[in-house]
Amino acid sequence: MSSNRWFATGNYFTSYKEEQRIFFTSLDRSAMVLLILALFLWPLFIQVDNKYMLVIDNILVAVVAVMGLNLVTGFAGLISIGHAAFVGIGAYTIACFGRVLGENHMLLTHAWPLMIVFAGCIGAVFGGIVGLPALRLRHLYLAIATLSFQMIFQWTINFMDFFNQGQTISVTRVAWVTGTVSRSEHYTFWYYAILVAIVLVGFAVRNLLRTRYGRCLVAVRDNDRAADAMGMHPGFTKVYAFALAGFFAGVAGALHAYLYRGVGIESFTLSHSISFLAMAIVGGLGTLHGAFWGPLAIKILDLQVEQLSEWVGNHLTFATNLATALKPLSFGLVIVLFLMFEPRGIANWWRIVRSYVKLWPFRY
Amino acid sequence: MSYFFQLVVSGIVVGSIYALSALGFVLIYKSSRVLNIAHGQIIAAGAFITYALTVMVGIPIYFSFFISMVITFFLAMSVERIFLRRLIGEPIISVIMVTIGLMSIIDGLIYLTPFGTENFSFPSFLPTTPISVGGVSISWTQMVGVLVTFAMIGGFTWFFKKSTIGISMRAVSDDQLAAMSIGISVPRVFGLAWAMAGLSAAAAGGILGNITGINFDTLHSFGIVVFPVVILGGLDSILGAVVAGIIMGLIQQFASGYLDGNWGLSGTGEIMPYVILLVILLFKPHGLFGIHEIERV
Repeated sequence: MSSNRWFATGNYFTSYKEEQRIFFTSLDRSAMVLLILALFLWPLFIQVDNKYMLVIDNILVAVVAVMGLNLVTGFAGLISIGHAAFVGIGAYTIACFGRVLGENHMLLTHAWPLMIVFAGCIGAVFGGIVGLPALRLRHLYLAIATLSFQMIFQWTINFMDFFNQGQTISVTRVAWVTGTVSRSEHYTFWYYAILVAIVLVGFAVRNLLRTRYGRCLVAVRDNDRAADAMGMHPGFTKVYAFALAGFFAGVAGALHAYLYRGVGIESFTLSHSISFLAMAIVGGLGTLHGAFWGPLAIKILDLQVEQLSEWVGNHLTFATNLATALKPLSFGLVIVLFLMFEPRGIANWWRIVRSYVKLWPFRY
Repeated sequence: MSYFFQLVVSGIVVGSIYALSALGFVLIYKSSRVLNIAHGQIIAAGAFITYALTVMVGIPIYFSFFISMVITFFLAMSVERIFLRRLIGEPIISVIMVTIGLMSIIDGLIYLTPFGTENFSFPSFLPTTPISVGGVSISWTQMVGVLVTFAMIGGFTWFFKKSTIGISMRAVSDDQLAAMSIGISVPRVFGLAWAMAGLSAAAAGGILGNITGINFDTLHSFGIVVFPVVILGGLDSILGAVVAGIIMGLIQQFASGYLDGNWGLSGTGEIMPYVILLVILLFKPHGLFGIHEIERV
């Protein structure tokens, strides 16, 4: 292979094996290692207020969830309007254990990594069940199936005493080798925990997309009849895409539950599903690094909108519920504008910059 | 027994409004294969416009009902023109996601107005004593609502069977290429389908607002129940929308009438449509009257 793919003008792969590598050059690999190292080490040098650490943690949790949504919507081409419900399934799995076994049970405090994986599995089971109509139907109907799952989930939580009728169910602090994680360390601790999860999940997705199962998803998205003729089972592939998305969402939900030390229905409503969808679209559907850009952009937008509505609310006394108005408005506008003018999302800007640098000083 | 008939009556009342709302949804799907997720928001907007015209401007309710229908007609048409026209030819998935975005935008716009959070109710313009036959009572508002709904549905049926525009719309839904070749402007039909959907949504919203009062949360959840209705009826069947609307109304009323309060259940009427939706999707995915596309991919 030519020396550096970044400066090469085309695709010079001569074998499938070359094309399927995770890192194409050693430069890629060392850049990735450096990036991950930087992400792990910066809290040692820069002191961040707990408030901002929570925002960062929040973005990272959303990254895990959006990776799942990206799999099902971006790679498999199925719309899911119920992703927040799957995230909620993960969070409520943790809450259920707390309610049944007692809040400070060993499983929840000491075996929390196991619990997070378990929450993911429960999410996968529900994802598979909701995806079942895919065996017989095309994607239009599936969007409605996910929507109805979202409604059923909200109703179940809101009307059942076991789930405290949607009120917050508290989740315990976890233990680490140094003892119980204290209040001041909580957000930094979970920053590391979520980061580890993201690294694992990110590599899992990257690897999945190299295997036949991942390529199956893309094939079914692009043309399901052709995929069928090639010997894949489109319906099964879709069900399993939903199950995978459910797994990621479940993990994200469990992380969310531990991070906020509580689970309440208000974090898993339909509007959250839409904001997850907005994140996936803004980041770039069907790209791996889009799952990082999207949550970053949307969460920052969210904060800005909150500040703006606070500022406007101070000046205009009649605008009392400006925040409730501006949030859906901005999400909707972002979704629509991106779909109309940049359907490939922020990830595409990165591609544009890269090709500009690659070709410089020529235009094309 | 009279309890049963009472439930039947209120089920038909609710169901006929479902039918009217589902009609608009089916119109859009039939002509352009777009699932309009924002349909519930258009219904809510119709209700709010009717209320604003009646109470805040002071137009008699009969006129404001029609004016709101006209306004929503053009509103929906311009939504199609601005957002969806340029997406013709894009993958259908991105068009559906645009309607999800639209849903969010309209939500936001409604929250900007007082209608987003406060409750209103229409001034009563009909006799307030309900009609009562053999222990089953129905209020005048509900009665008139049902009559208007059926008149509207009849009008739409006539429109599609007999009028030139209606026939051209059916032609487009049948085969776009063939329709184009005989000189039907497909984009215009799309626009018209949205406009008609807006019109029927405004009518549904106006009637619903009169019966249940104006509350954005109620209207919002009402809008989402349209999905189970259209799935039950079959996405591309107008007859299916009407029949399924009434069935869904009956199911809802029976669920909340007989299940609530027993076995510690409450609010079953809200959730039953979605449970039915999931079951239908698994066992009879094309609904009662939908065209059975023979492709299992």
